[in-house]
Amino acid sequence: MTFEVPEEGDPVIVQGITGRYGSLHAGLMLGYGTNVAAGVTPGRGGQVVEGVPVFDTVKEAVERTGARASVLFVPAPALLSAVEEAVEAGIRLLVAITEHVPIRDTLKTIRLCEMSGARVIGPNTPGIILPSKRLKLGIMPAPSFRDGGVALFSRSGTLMYEVSDALSRSALGQHVALGVGGDPVNCTTMTECLDWAATADEVRSVVVVGEIGGDAEERLAEHIVATGFPKPVVAYIAGRSAPKEKHMGHAGAIVYGDYGTAESKIAALRRAGARVAMTTSEIPTLVSSTR
Amino acid sequence: MRLFEYEGKELFSRYGIPIPRSKLAGDVSQALSAVDEIGLPAFIKAQVLSGGRGKAGGVVLVRTRDEAKMEAGRLLALKVGGEPTRALLVEEASVHGEEMYVSVSLNRGRREFVALASRSGGTEVESQAEGAMAEVPVPLEGLSDAAASALSTELGLSGRTSSEFGSILLKLERLSREEECELAEINPLAVHADGSMVALDSKVVLDDNALFRHPEFSQLPPEDPLEGEAARYGFAFVRLDGNVAVVGNGAGLVLSTLDLVADAGGRAACFLDLGGGAQRDRVEAALRLVRGLPSARAILVNIFGGITRTTDVAEGLRAVVSEHPMAPVFARVSGAEEAEARALLSGSGIHVHRTAQEAVLAAVEGAKP
Repeated sequence: MTFEVPEEGDPVIVQGITGRYGSLHAGLMLGYGTNVAAGVTPGRGGQVVEGVPVFDTVKEAVERTGARASVLFVPAPALLSAVEEAVEAGIRLLVAITEHVPIRDTLKTIRLCEMSGARVIGPNTPGIILPSKRLKLGIMPAPSFRDGGVALFSRSGTLMYEVSDALSRSALGQHVALGVGGDPVNCTTMTECLDWAATADEVRSVVVVGEIGGDAEERLAEHIVATGFPKPVVAYIAGRSAPKEKHMGHAGAIVYGDYGTAESKIAALRRAGARVAMTTSEIPTLVSSTR
Repeated sequence: MRLFEYEGKELFSRYGIPIPRSKLAGDVSQALSAVDEIGLPAFIKAQVLSGGRGKAGGVVLVRTRDEAKMEAGRLLALKVGGEPTRALLVEEASVHGEEMYVSVSLNRGRREFVALASRSGGTEVESQAEGAMAEVPVPLEGLSDAAASALSTELGLSGRTSSEFGSILLKLERLSREEECELAEINPLAVHADGSMVALDSKVVLDDNALFRHPEFSQLPPEDPLEGEAARYGFAFVRLDGNVAVVGNGAGLVLSTLDLVADAGGRAACFLDLGGGAQRDRVEAALRLVRGLPSARAILVNIFGGITRTTDVAEGLRAVVSEHPMAPVFARVSGAEEAEARALLSGSGIHVHRTAQEAVLAAVEGAKP
């Protein structure tokens, strides 16, 4: 599956635009320069939010605007059907901000992606931003991001902002910053992100912000070795001091026995040749030193 | 949400998985009448959610009524991993041979559910080498009879044990799917001489995010009143055993702050994630909450402002600190209008720092007796 990321100025839609969160962020995305061309909320067709026309269905919104990307702020129980509707209407890139999505709904979303070739980022993600294209499909604070050669992939939202802010202050801008999401299962994996970074000419180095729980970082480390990933990777893992068997904020941030520990992730990434920062403030220095 | 053993067994029973005869007891006299009904010898099992119950002495076999009375009293007062016993389960003790393991769980890396089984169950099952378990993927529509038989064959089962195991596995998988469990586990699954099987224990973890589709599972009120209060605001809260209360916006940010506290030689008193935004009212509510944490000798606030103006956050912090005497607050507030926020906080008694590291060091120092 590829990433069909819109070009600068391409139309995008917002599903769930009439909610408090959806309307707030539709306005902020517009303010950044992203072309939010239509919104969708069933039963609210004909309204206007932040100057954006609202439609009842994704099909109508797509027919009017030609959008191929959507940002979803719909409530968790409605996410799966909203994704199905969007894919059916021809949307190819879906950014699911929605949190608290049942695991089996996420697994069904993944299968839908595999069958249709559409890509979902998330759920429970801050989204994706490409500063060079003024493209912000998500809820991240724009001032913390600037254009450059880093690809930043994170399981955490606020930590992604913190790290990009530190990178930006050190004149290390980002070609892309993407949150894979804080859930136990992500529709777009860290490994897929790495494949994208491998082929994107603008990307000169990769920063991975991981955390305890699951084995996404271990899989990423294996992938770095297996593919001979050609660019420097700097990684940071949050939660070295966290207790076991406790959900630490994110549904996905939980250690069971020896599975999902920070030690395991750090060791795997080091073995794969990644530079591992012990604090977020070390990240810019490590990125600079790898170039 | 993890279910107690007896709740899990009720589910098992509803799905046709055999369980031992048992009765729930809330006090010693109920336990004794349960023993009279079940017969001796019997198991008395403390109902707790924490792991390591067996090693903590939370399960005993009693042979006499006197023994039952004494052990029931002891178990009701027992704490496992700090967690008090909620109730006792009195259960028939049966003679059996082999103890197996079977579960349906999420494999996060492969992004699918899997059925796992082993011929040797029991408390040591988690330390077994990875290859010791037989495994089949579980499709979203459910496990096929053929896949269940394949797993039986892989385990070397035949005859009645094979068909019995296959039937229990299929029932467990249907339970896992219909009730939307993250984990449904039988360990041990006792095998009798005639090939019949009984689930001696249950471990069922429901998908919290799917509870809206399963209103019959009502969450027990949390033992910890602060946890209950945090839940009302939608904060993620975990009580820890140190003395620096850690508050921040965003799970990853708070996790990384905990690590900084540990690196500085301190110990966190709690993890409180007030959510991605940093609206003033939420910051205030979080601070009021951790102020009630008796173990906290310092409060560390790490806010990455994002789209919120940090001056709003600063005003919230000021308001809370001025209304009530509390442990010293060490804050790092980053984002738009930072300088103005720092100016607002000067003279408020709140220690303001430019970086998270500085705030952490000061808080750890400030928490020392």
